[in-house]
Amino acid sequence: MLTSFITDYVRYVLKGGAKFYTWMGVLGVLILGMLYVFYLQNTDGLIVTGMTSQIHEGLYFANLVFLVGVAAGAVTIVFPAYGYHHEGMHKVAVLGEMLAITAVIMVMMFVFAHMGRPDRLWHMIPPWGIYSFSSMLGWDVMVLTGYLILNFVCGFYYLWCKYTGRPINYKWFLPVVWIAIVWALSIHTVTAFLISTMPSRPMWHHSMMPIRFITTAFAAGPALIILAFLIIRNNTKFWIEDSVIKLLTTIVIWCLGIAIFLTMSEVVVELYARTEHANGLYYLMFGLHGLTRLVPWFWTSVVLMVGAFILFLIPRFRNDFKLLVIPCVMAFAGIWIEKGMGLIVPGFIPTPIGEVTEYYPSFVEWLMTLGIWAFGFFILTILLKGAIGILLGEVKFGARPAAGSLGAQAAAAK
Amino acid sequence: MLSLSSLMGTAALMAESDDAQAAIEWAEHFQKNYRLMTDEEKAEARARLEKRYSEEYGKQVTVDTTPAQPGVLMGYALNIRKCIGCRRCVHACVAENNQSRGKNRPGEKIEWIQVLRMERGKFDAEKMNHGYPEGLGIQVGGNAYTPVGQVLEGQYHYTPDLVPEKDATYMPIACMQCEKPPCVKVCPVRTTYREPDGVVVIDYNWCIGCRMCMGACPYWARRLNVTNPVLPKEEMNPVTHYLGNRPRMRGVVEKCHWCLQRTRHGRYPACVEVCPVGARKFGNLLDPNSEVSLILARKNVFRLKADLNTFPKFFYFYD
Amino acid sequence: MKKIALYTTIFALFGGALYVAVAAGKTGAATQPAEAQAATTEAAPAQPAAAAETAAAPADAAKEPVVCFESRKGASEVTQREIRPGWPNVKCSPTTGAALWYGDPFDGTVPMGKMPGLENIPEGHALVKPRSEKLAILPMCATACHNGVGPKFTPPTLPKDKKPTPIPTMEGLLPELKEFQHGRGRLWCLDCHHTTQRNKLVDNFGDPIDFDQSQLLCGKCHGDKLRDWRDGIHGKRIGEWASDGKKRWFLCTECHNPHNVQQGERNRGFAQLQPEPPPPLPKGMPDMKHELVHPVAH
Repeated sequence: MLTSFITDYVRYVLKGGAKFYTWMGVLGVLILGMLYVFYLQNTDGLIVTGMTSQIHEGLYFANLVFLVGVAAGAVTIVFPAYGYHHEGMHKVAVLGEMLAITAVIMVMMFVFAHMGRPDRLWHMIPPWGIYSFSSMLGWDVMVLTGYLILNFVCGFYYLWCKYTGRPINYKWFLPVVWIAIVWALSIHTVTAFLISTMPSRPMWHHSMMPIRFITTAFAAGPALIILAFLIIRNNTKFWIEDSVIKLLTTIVIWCLGIAIFLTMSEVVVELYARTEHANGLYYLMFGLHGLTRLVPWFWTSVVLMVGAFILFLIPRFRNDFKLLVIPCVMAFAGIWIEKGMGLIVPGFIPTPIGEVTEYYPSFVEWLMTLGIWAFGFFILTILLKGAIGILLGEVKFGARPAAGSLGAQAAAAK
Repeated sequence: MLSLSSLMGTAALMAESDDAQAAIEWAEHFQKNYRLMTDEEKAEARARLEKRYSEEYGKQVTVDTTPAQPGVLMGYALNIRKCIGCRRCVHACVAENNQSRGKNRPGEKIEWIQVLRMERGKFDAEKMNHGYPEGLGIQVGGNAYTPVGQVLEGQYHYTPDLVPEKDATYMPIACMQCEKPPCVKVCPVRTTYREPDGVVVIDYNWCIGCRMCMGACPYWARRLNVTNPVLPKEEMNPVTHYLGNRPRMRGVVEKCHWCLQRTRHGRYPACVEVCPVGARKFGNLLDPNSEVSLILARKNVFRLKADLNTFPKFFYFYD
Repeated sequence: MKKIALYTTIFALFGGALYVAVAAGKTGAATQPAEAQAATTEAAPAQPAAAAETAAAPADAAKEPVVCFESRKGASEVTQREIRPGWPNVKCSPTTGAALWYGDPFDGTVPMGKMPGLENIPEGHALVKPRSEKLAILPMCATACHNGVGPKFTPPTLPKDKKPTPIPTMEGLLPELKEFQHGRGRLWCLDCHHTTQRNKLVDNFGDPIDFDQSQLLCGKCHGDKLRDWRDGIHGKRIGEWASDGKKRWFLCTECHNPHNVQQGERNRGFAQLQPEPPPPLPKGMPDMKHELVHPVAH
């Protein structure tokens, strides 16, 4: 039965129209590019990136942090589905889990891209390696792996049941789902601790970091999910209820609002006293020693986030799902900048001993980042397409999979 | 993930070396964390490295594995009043410790010591009234100064014709060998740890290059080998220590280790020996007659960023 | 799609070129890394010159020994030589000519002699580099002029008072005496130099002190410094760090010019000198001039 599940799944996923193959082909090219720059990084070294001993975490770490948020954001579907028994959400909860799986895999790929010696990753896995309980990175790897497993188990068990037509065994399924929900908070909290537990980097060293992380995650994650759902609605036979999108919009608005509030609080606290510890933030907002490379990033992010929030508050933008796309994209992009370039990079400027340098991401870094995102969309397309097929009943045990006219949906999964 | 990482290791190794070399690196790839090795394994690892380095650099290279000596807790003191900012310590350190020293690409050159230039600054009568007048014209602050004694405001690339400059003081910064090292706490694989004589070391073969330690270090003491180190044969120092100055590889972090290859055998660190003004002092903190103990007993001493409770064993003092 | 194809091609070409460059650098590293990599970079014009310099250096070395100064320029020098194959006694800075690394810290040293307060240091563990060797005219002092013979000196005639009288011969030999600073006019020659034995210094009892033990002279006034020096706090030692270890002790005059202690603009007892080069520019930074701009704007 398991083999038939896999073969049916694969067969269904592989079928598609020209649009589907074009989409996957483009992603494939980017993935090849990523593999090449990965090879470069692991023969020539990280010198091919813009990272230096001064600014040793850049695009990769920024994307890693952001994507952990996206992964955690999936809980905004799962929690209403199981916590509040939201009917519409329940139907699509598995899609959220697929998104979480994708995001965690992307995070792991960014970890690989970030590491100086990815060939030695086994050093942190017992019994061959050493697991260090005092290291936040150790904890982060543990919770991320755990989250991947939990989502994989929940998602695919659900799909498996749908596929075989068996009833779901809630006796163990529900507890696992609840663990996954709490776990989702843990991944982002630990990722926040990863950087906020370093007094050497005063810009990050505050206890607001975890909640800021979670609010931004619960804004960016659902924003992405709304986009994905709208695409699925418009391009497949799978119907996602309005109430789902409306609830997600509400979550995005609240979390975005809180995130903006927290950011503003931080700005006030730091800039009122304007100690040396505020240098990082000051560099981000206005530049330091006349170096201003990140300033446009920050203000773009502010405009995007505040703009998105204002648009969200206008009922027309909430209710018209065509217009809803605009604030969602704005919020997603704004948070990507805020948590990525806007949070990670200025943490290194100036260095703890006051040297001010700037970060210039190299072509290799951009290609790697693009490639990993492409890889993510590649996986997401496969996972969503398969999941939708099963949810629609097009992939079912004993039945030949329907020849998919579903190519289109995949193309749209961006 | 495990198989993936091993595969990549293999691929990387295949891509770069000939057979004998590859075999050695292969064995190195699978060796244990240095602290967990048995004496036999240490001897093996040492022999392996000596063979590889000797071939690579065309001279007899020794890799010392001398452990910490009992009754020794190393300490360092720097007379901040004496430092003239000549950077001889920086370059002595490079000559001793086999850092990468390429000139072609930024990042190929690594220096462990940074010398901070601080302005003496001055107060200016002309700017006495340049304050922040409030609405009522009452000053709530002033601007009648240029930075005076501003620590950590970062001037590291100064290039005057002569040092010391009249309007500046200098403060060299390197690894502080903290008693509570934040870098050790954040290391996910325990590749960096405190040796019993107080020095925080790195097993370069176990480092995964995650750079958490670099982020956690409040003194910016750690450097990343962003590429395969450029170390000309004739400049290579063949007297090395496993945890000290042996040549590193791409993708790992390195830092000052108080010249373990010297200090474990009683010799002063290289930076101490070249300081032209004798500002650098090194010795055993447990010996009441050592230079550092006498400095602690007699001089005014401070630790850099003492507020972080890292308890450095590197002390700044002044006469 | 065309665009992507185009980019991919460009990217592949670029990457290929990069790889070739890296590979070339690697094989070249065995022989002449600077040259091999220079050929692959655009900075090539500058590089051959550098390579030529390094090539020329050994040739020069064969002809002319490399001499570098130790602490203070002009105070003490050391000549580079190989102690054992590939192991020089000293490495010198190509930029400033300063000693940067000691292969043998005890090169050319002799036992310090008796020094009160250092009795606990085992015999032969306190070493100094003889100053007398460096002071070229020292042997002549007591033979050529201050030899106790000659019209003016038989029987030895001593100055009637302590008023400094310029002696043209001395000023010719040591021009710095014209601007003699030490003590700011409160000291004169014979406060430090022995009256009759001119190749010696003098202590408070009028007994001679060897030039290799200048600390005994300087400590007459600078007692606190002498104490710190004796305890290893002031001044410089190289060799073994243990408190009773074998060390070469740098003597006062290896760092300070006794005739003009407060040298240079900074007036701090140590002559100004040329600094070693600054750290490399971090990737992407065209210069680091912004360091001089102060960050807190008002």
